[in-house]
Amino acid sequence: MTEITLKDNHNDNGRSILLKGDMTIITANNWRSKLNDIAVSNNQPVIINMKGVRNFDTTGAWLIYSTKKRMEKVGANVTIGDVTEKQTALILHVGSYDTATEKTAPTKNKWLQSLATMGASAIALFEKISRLLEFLGVVVLGFIGSIRHPGRIRWNAMTTQFEEIGLKALPIVGLLSFLIGLVLVQQGAVELKQFGAEVFVVDLVGISTIRELGVLICAIMVAGRSGSAFTAQIGSMKLEEEVDAMQTIGLDPIDVLIMPRVFALFILMPLLGFYASMMSLAGGALLSYIQLGIPLDTFIERLRDVITVKTFLVGILKAPVFGVIIAVVGCFEGMQVEGGAQSVGEHTTASVVASIFLVIVSDAFFAVFFTAIDW
Amino acid sequence: MADDIILSIRGLRNTFGDQVVHNNLDLDVRRGEILGIVGGSGTGKSVLLRSVIGLQKYESGTITINGKNNQDLSMSDAKAMRAHWGVLFQNGALFTSLTVLENIEVPIREFAPMEPKLMAEIASYKLAMVGLTPEAGYKFPNELSGGMRKRVGVARALALDPEILFLDEPTAGLDPIAAAEFDTLIKSLQKTLGFTVFLITHDLDTLHTICDRVAVLADRKVLVTAPISDLRQFPHPWVKAYFNGPRGRAALDSVDATRG
Repeated sequence: MTEITLKDNHNDNGRSILLKGDMTIITANNWRSKLNDIAVSNNQPVIINMKGVRNFDTTGAWLIYSTKKRMEKVGANVTIGDVTEKQTALILHVGSYDTATEKTAPTKNKWLQSLATMGASAIALFEKISRLLEFLGVVVLGFIGSIRHPGRIRWNAMTTQFEEIGLKALPIVGLLSFLIGLVLVQQGAVELKQFGAEVFVVDLVGISTIRELGVLICAIMVAGRSGSAFTAQIGSMKLEEEVDAMQTIGLDPIDVLIMPRVFALFILMPLLGFYASMMSLAGGALLSYIQLGIPLDTFIERLRDVITVKTFLVGILKAPVFGVIIAVVGCFEGMQVEGGAQSVGEHTTASVVASIFLVIVSDAFFAVFFTAIDW
Repeated sequence: MADDIILSIRGLRNTFGDQVVHNNLDLDVRRGEILGIVGGSGTGKSVLLRSVIGLQKYESGTITINGKNNQDLSMSDAKAMRAHWGVLFQNGALFTSLTVLENIEVPIREFAPMEPKLMAEIASYKLAMVGLTPEAGYKFPNELSGGMRKRVGVARALALDPEILFLDEPTAGLDPIAAAEFDTLIKSLQKTLGFTVFLITHDLDTLHTICDRVAVLADRKVLVTAPISDLRQFPHPWVKAYFNGPRGRAALDSVDATRG
């Protein structure tokens, strides 16, 4: 940083302020505090001497201009001395763009403001829910339309989604489910061993994964993996006006973008959920053998006694519902994107949070329902 | 003065895979001039700009700005160099999550931290300088028209009083009146502030009204750099077609008419 100095001399003719050094945006902050320290009085002649100023840019010009303005406001007679033609031109230039009319920020009542914020977010929430319901209605209509006129179904788009959502998810969903199976047995074994009831880990891992965890973990994975992708893809397409372009060409975005995704998840969630359950059981069987010495045939035999068709159905019937929830929320949030990149980020976050939330809430309803009908 | 070169490119070579975009390209930009760059689509105008401002590594050759090679600088030197230039991208490239004033303040915050009040004052007069009202300062980029976004882009590019201003097709997408106003704005700012302009454009009116010299990009190099009046006689089919075609003549006529 270059050195700057300011000399403030009083004499009979008034006051002369000698400036020395660079007056650019880099040194502006120093200058501002030094210049602001100079207090002048009414009718006092002041000369700002610029002889020592070397580099001078618009920011420097602004400093001179604003200082002069401040001093003249108190009634001082300000002249700028030893100034080059170029500097004068710059000072006039920035002065002509002075728009700083003394703005006073409107003072607001803090309580009222927080109340207003609360109200606004409540209204926004209701509006969002009503839009979501509207969107759900459109999807249901699309669903019915697709079944009545199968020609509307975009098979190519759907198979692409099968690959993206299903096939490519197999490794990560499989690995995680396998680990969950391991953990269940590992934790269960410690407790059950105390009672000599090791064999019950098979009940534990079998029922919990097939009834609940397999599908649930899988749904959370898919929400994070594919729900977010739906939002980001559709959102960027909206920003790039691709969705508008589709409409003008006569393609219905519901048919082209949304139904393939909804159908794909509707069909894939049970398959992925089943696969996840099987992987968990595999993990459980492996650790049962290693830690508790339960051989595989004993494990399977015990499993056959514990797991009924009902247990299996409880798990697998939930899956398509979860799939539709994730797809609808993901696509809905994507269609809500407007503005810019920030909006894509916000809606992607909202999409993942909302779909996981709704999946878990509906899982709770299912739990109550299946208990009530004694399954 | 005529030989005060601020930006010099020697033997520039850029390739993408097998495709050679630039080969042995030379170009000099004089301090304080407005240099227009023209060329057909795919002749690498944008690649040239990206090479100069350091967004793209070039294969061989040298680019020196103010006597410093822009490819072998340390991180801090490269950053310091960036304070000396401003870039306006084609669509303004404003940060969508910031207001207009905050957008203008970004380079100031980065290079010259200062008290918020002074920064707000600087941003406000820069905004007025590009012909926008104070109210526009509190808007977000997506609430602005294309022309306004470009003006904000210029204000942000000029935030640090750069020595060179790079403009990438500044009048593309503007209506003729807005485009003419934009040309006038650049010319008048350049006259007062004295910076150098490196301007990529397709707009023949812009070339005729504000450019001191025009460089023509073709056959992977700069064919010729000359004032536009000299280019019409240049014996190259593309240059002839460009400046003597119907649009080229119309632009010339309109300039002649305004000059009387």
